[in-house]
Amino acid sequence: MAKENTEVDAERETRTERTRAGDPTDTAPDQLISTDPGREGVAEQDDEPSGATETVIEAHGLDVYYGETRALDDVTIEIPSNRVTAMIGPSGCGKSTFLRCINRMNDLIDVARVEGDLLFDGVDVYADDVDPVALRRHVGMVFQHPNPFPKSIYDNVAYGLRVQGDTDDLDGRVEQALRRAALWEEVSDRLDDSALDLSGGQQQRLCIARAIAVDPAVILMDEPASALDPIATSKIEDLIDELAESYTVVIVTHNMQQAARISDRTAVFLTGGELVEVGPTREIFEDPEEDRVEDYITGKFG
Amino acid sequence: MTTDTNTDTDTVESVDPGLGRVSRLRGAVFRYVTFVASLVGVASLGVLLAYVFWDALGMDSAQPGWYAGFFLLVVAPFVGFVLRARTDAVAGEVALELFATVAGGIQGGFALVVVLDVIAGVDVWLSYFLTTIGPAVAVYLYGRLNRAASWTGLGILATGLLGPVAGTLLIGRIDVVVSGVGAPGIYLLTVTLPAALGVGLLVDRNEDLGDGRWATLALFALGVAGVLAADAVPGVSRSVWQLFVASFAAPTGYVVARNLADQERWSGLAGPGALVVGAGVLLLVDGPLGLVGPSPWFDWQFLTSPPSLTDPSTAGVYAPIVGSVFVIVLVAVFTLFLGVGAALYLEEYAGSSGLRGAVARLVRINISNLAGVPSVVYGLLGLAVFARLIGTGIGTVLTAALTLSLLILPIVIISAREAIAAVPDSQRRASYGMGATRWQTVRNVVLPRSLPGIMTGTILALGRAIGETAPLLMIGVPAFRRDEPTGLFTRTGALPRQVFTWADNPNPEFQYGVLAAGVVTLLVVLLTMNSIAILIRNKYERGDV
Repeated sequence: MAKENTEVDAERETRTERTRAGDPTDTAPDQLISTDPGREGVAEQDDEPSGATETVIEAHGLDVYYGETRALDDVTIEIPSNRVTAMIGPSGCGKSTFLRCINRMNDLIDVARVEGDLLFDGVDVYADDVDPVALRRHVGMVFQHPNPFPKSIYDNVAYGLRVQGDTDDLDGRVEQALRRAALWEEVSDRLDDSALDLSGGQQQRLCIARAIAVDPAVILMDEPASALDPIATSKIEDLIDELAESYTVVIVTHNMQQAARISDRTAVFLTGGELVEVGPTREIFEDPEEDRVEDYITGKFG
Repeated sequence: MTTDTNTDTDTVESVDPGLGRVSRLRGAVFRYVTFVASLVGVASLGVLLAYVFWDALGMDSAQPGWYAGFFLLVVAPFVGFVLRARTDAVAGEVALELFATVAGGIQGGFALVVVLDVIAGVDVWLSYFLTTIGPAVAVYLYGRLNRAASWTGLGILATGLLGPVAGTLLIGRIDVVVSGVGAPGIYLLTVTLPAALGVGLLVDRNEDLGDGRWATLALFALGVAGVLAADAVPGVSRSVWQLFVASFAAPTGYVVARNLADQERWSGLAGPGALVVGAGVLLLVDGPLGLVGPSPWFDWQFLTSPPSLTDPSTAGVYAPIVGSVFVIVLVAVFTLFLGVGAALYLEEYAGSSGLRGAVARLVRINISNLAGVPSVVYGLLGLAVFARLIGTGIGTVLTAALTLSLLILPIVIISAREAIAAVPDSQRRASYGMGATRWQTVRNVVLPRSLPGIMTGTILALGRAIGETAPLLMIGVPAFRRDEPTGLFTRTGALPRQVFTWADNPNPEFQYGVLAAGVVTLLVVLLTMNSIAILIRNKYERGDV
């Protein structure tokens, strides 16, 4: 088992060097056990995100209020599976709020109120019979600042599996998650050390390993690299590229170059919680339809 | 002023008049006023302590020659160490660690003897050990070794609920075992051996210390072989010896060994080492040299004799100490569960909006108010509600424990709330984001992270409870009692209450000597509890815990 994984890992190492566009043989050899029926049969990769995948998240007329303040204004968007979708926009434009709607983390904020429809795999996530705790087991999240628990590296990765009571082959799955997060090589000999002894970039990759250990369908990332240095950032970006082969990634970022580098589709939010434009990343950056989007992307404001 | 600057520094060609000195007169005055204020506070406390210790240790009967030796051998090295510790933070830390371990170990040993041997008795202890404590620890260890076992939490919970029931049924049916093995043997197996195994594990984990099995073996051998030494000392039974090996020898040995293994920490051992060696040399030479030392009131006889109202030379605090330890152990159990429970609810469960939020706000404000209610009022409450209405009895152990628990509960809740609120929200978000329920988040993230803070606050609050006198007066704790309490519903003496009684005694030897020795006993307990609390806090701030 361990030997096989090492080979898989070596293969991934070399694959990371290549760009995804020039890699037609890429057929995800390390497919995880799928718990999500919506992802079956979406193994092959295609750089042109033009309807080759299914829609996994859909919002229709989504409004969010914090008390009297409107944070999201009538947002309608479809997020395709196995793609990286980036949310960009100036501070306070509601892109993080939208992200937190998807796994109902806004529920933890007392004054937050959500109206409109948000569908995950066709199910309204705000329906009465949806338990936010169960939802979050399918929609993982990585936060802006690395926030590992003050436990061992092993216990951090195993956390999600343990809280779900799913502890078959724990060692193997912890190893697999660490390999997928490109961290195994660095920590394999010190799994019992405190996670807080890792560097910032390693901690963030650990948080990603923690999120993918439970094999979610979607991974939400809230500015995952904004607290890291350029080298750590580029490692995280490579990793996101990798993850999109098996997961749907929704990433909020302040950094437009980052969005252009790693995402397949981009959604631009502007002040007032308005989703102004969404489309393939290349179109958004090269030829946006809205003048306001062009102004924002070329740095005239924001 | 600007001209001043100009003449002083010729090299400066042109100084802008706006860059001269700004008046700091009021700031300087304020600074010195605050300095004097803190000096007065510290100095008055120091005078009080010196006065009490002087009387308790009977220092005026010593000869000048003894003082010369005392200063040369004990005070001078100690002051030198304190001066050195000012520049060497590690040294001070090691000294604190040693002090907290030694003092905590001795007092923990006392508490253990009182709780297990005097109050509970070996048969009761063995019953609960076999049915509750042993199985719970075994399940916990199994869970630690087998990471995949997810049932261990429930297993421990079940043991905690069912074990006491089974244990109560078992009492009286294991007399054969008790008389066969004997009390010291049972303590050796149930207390000394687990402590030795625990130290062995710690030694194994520490890379500098080598094989833990030797540490376990050494401690176990000390427990067995030391019995011979214990037989020679009056007042120390074989059972007492076993309990002290577990509570004093095991942690002290580990701490000393760990500090010895790390060369950077050696400087910290110098102070305590010099103190011990100096005192030892002084004890050895004062007889042959004909130096008359002090004749302390505060000595072994004082700690192990029952109190007296007529004969100062045989008066002691044994029964009141047993009473105080019994009460404070119960207070610790009550307040830890109630206090942490209330704090967790207020911080983690009660929302901030709506009806529940309003109720929670009201509770929070009132808890803060309750922390300021005079202790005598709590005494009145204890008398009316516990002693009379519920009928736990006037001046009984249970009444005292419940009353003191109410007294410190607000302090425990407030400090526990602060510790819980100090857990970063990012940790909670990480846990919820992984699909953890609120209980799982509290159990796995919030509680482990806030436990050191909760412990620190609780220990400081217990330190306050152990010295409280006014509530004890109100609930009718007897002024004088020679027998130690044997159960929850027996009337009990208590250390502060006994001190208060002696203060009224017309005999000056009671008023100065015995009273001071009683106060010193209280102070030593308090200082130890506070130093343990500081130790936990320091380690927590460094992230060791």
